[in-house]
Amino acid sequence: MRRSELDNWGERLTRRLAGRLSRRSMLSRLGALLVAAPAFPLLPVQRARAADAPAAGTDFSRNAQTHDDTACNYWRYCGIDGNLCSCCGGGVHSCPPGSQPSPTSWIGSCINPDDQRAYLIAYRDCCGPNECNKCSCLNTDHAMPIYRPQANNHVIWCFGTNSFEYHCSMAVLVGLAQ
Amino acid sequence: MKKTAHPASRAAGAALSLLIGAGLGATAWASGQAPPAKSPPVLQSETAGVTPFAGLSAHQISYSALDGLEGGGVRVIDGDTARLVASVYSSQYANFEWSPDHRTLYVSETYWALGNRGKREDVLSIYGGPTLSNQGEIPLPGRLISDPKTHTFALSADGHYGYVYSFQPAPAVSVIDLPARKVLTSVEIPGCGLVFPFGPRGFASLCADGSLAVADANAQGQYKVRRTKRFFDVMNDPVMDESAADERSGLALFVTYDGWVHPVHLADTPRFGKPWSIEQAAGMSPATSQVGQITWRPGGQVPFAYEPSRHRLFVLMHEGAPWTFEEPGSEIWVLDVRTRALLHRWAVPQSAYLVAVTADAHPLLFALSQQWLWVMNAQSGTVQRATQIVTPGLVRVGGE
Repeated sequence: MRRSELDNWGERLTRRLAGRLSRRSMLSRLGALLVAAPAFPLLPVQRARAADAPAAGTDFSRNAQTHDDTACNYWRYCGIDGNLCSCCGGGVHSCPPGSQPSPTSWIGSCINPDDQRAYLIAYRDCCGPNECNKCSCLNTDHAMPIYRPQANNHVIWCFGTNSFEYHCSMAVLVGLAQ
Repeated sequence: MKKTAHPASRAAGAALSLLIGAGLGATAWASGQAPPAKSPPVLQSETAGVTPFAGLSAHQISYSALDGLEGGGVRVIDGDTARLVASVYSSQYANFEWSPDHRTLYVSETYWALGNRGKREDVLSIYGGPTLSNQGEIPLPGRLISDPKTHTFALSADGHYGYVYSFQPAPAVSVIDLPARKVLTSVEIPGCGLVFPFGPRGFASLCADGSLAVADANAQGQYKVRRTKRFFDVMNDPVMDESAADERSGLALFVTYDGWVHPVHLADTPRFGKPWSIEQAAGMSPATSQVGQITWRPGGQVPFAYEPSRHRLFVLMHEGAPWTFEEPGSEIWVLDVRTRALLHRWAVPQSAYLVAVTADAHPLLFALSQQWLWVMNAQSGTVQRATQIVTPGLVRVGGE
């Protein structure tokens, strides 16, 4: 079979890497990359949503408040669907003991009534225990259908955890959307 | 715990007193009084069994219990009596559908070996026979775990193929040969989701850019996926997951958050009809996503039901701001999709999250709130009867 130049180049690269790096070294670098992955923002998704960030307020933000994160109209909850972790033993960005945060999330943008700025919010589910069933909220500000999952609150976002049992939802602040 | 007489114990005590009284009475009769009238025959012993189930009848409705709150399960209610007639077990986050003859129920569901953890098994469970008993399972390569969504599972119009939408690791649709009980293939639909069957083996999916993915099989059963043009504005006014579709005719009525109906005849080359506004059909200005615009909008959990024979679209409507597409409906609007005219506006006794209509000659309309099922005449809107239900998730009706 005739070999292409691309094949030859690929082989040279692979052999050079194999000669320089031990398998463990490769695994450790790959592992470090995986561990660090959650620290990197989901750039394409966030950029897409940032472009859509509402500038002049939304119907939700008109009635939102910034002092009580156990109420459905807390400003970060503009797109939350489910039980507030703040009512289940956790907080607005921490899971209750006994549950595990999913490394995956969907991204929304909410307006802070105090500064009228739009912020990117990662809605993360806490998974493992049975459903908390406290402070159940259904906010749908700029929530998208399930065929656009990166902005959908109906997917059970428990990917990457030990359990797909939904417990509660957090609203983790990612940064400014504008 | 303070010990008190258990209610059953008290009842037993009362029965004993009656027996003693009866004994005294017998003594009195023996002593020469007139004998009582002829006593009823002794009741015969019984054997336990299962009430036969002849399939979901034309006026019956089946619904799943909302996950998390109710723990799953599919229940069947007879619309003519508003009584519960059958129940089937399901996992949480299940979906279900009946075969075209309504005798076999397929439940798309997921289990873990240790309840909330351990080995995961995605299966299509089969129920049927004379008592709606379990008839086995078809292992699935995966399925999406989500809140209830009608179009994550569907059958072809002839009931030969099942389609299960999967999301992990990538969006795909598993195609199942139901008589052979095996998964034939998984068709990847990158950037798209849900499944709307058409023709003998085709299906369409909605895509994140506002287009459709259309998949159909060749004679060898190999699927080819094509993308159509963009036909809606996904960022400002997306079509709803729960849009109505009739797999027999291939007509899909994709309805947007603001109430624009996009009629699409699903096929290898779909035909896109001109969109029309539900609000305009009612003589109002179209709803928009402009902040502060309070007007009538479609909304709910399953807000649409389509009756193909009379071309009627039933829509749960509420008055609300933009992005309130999950608000329950205080009214059901009845529209003729051929003339694009509003025919009726019917108030429901309590805001409803789901709506369904049967497909027989004397159709029933069902409106479901979180606690109640109302059975209505689909031609007059009259509420005929009601029954209390567990919080519903999805709904499928007879005659579909």
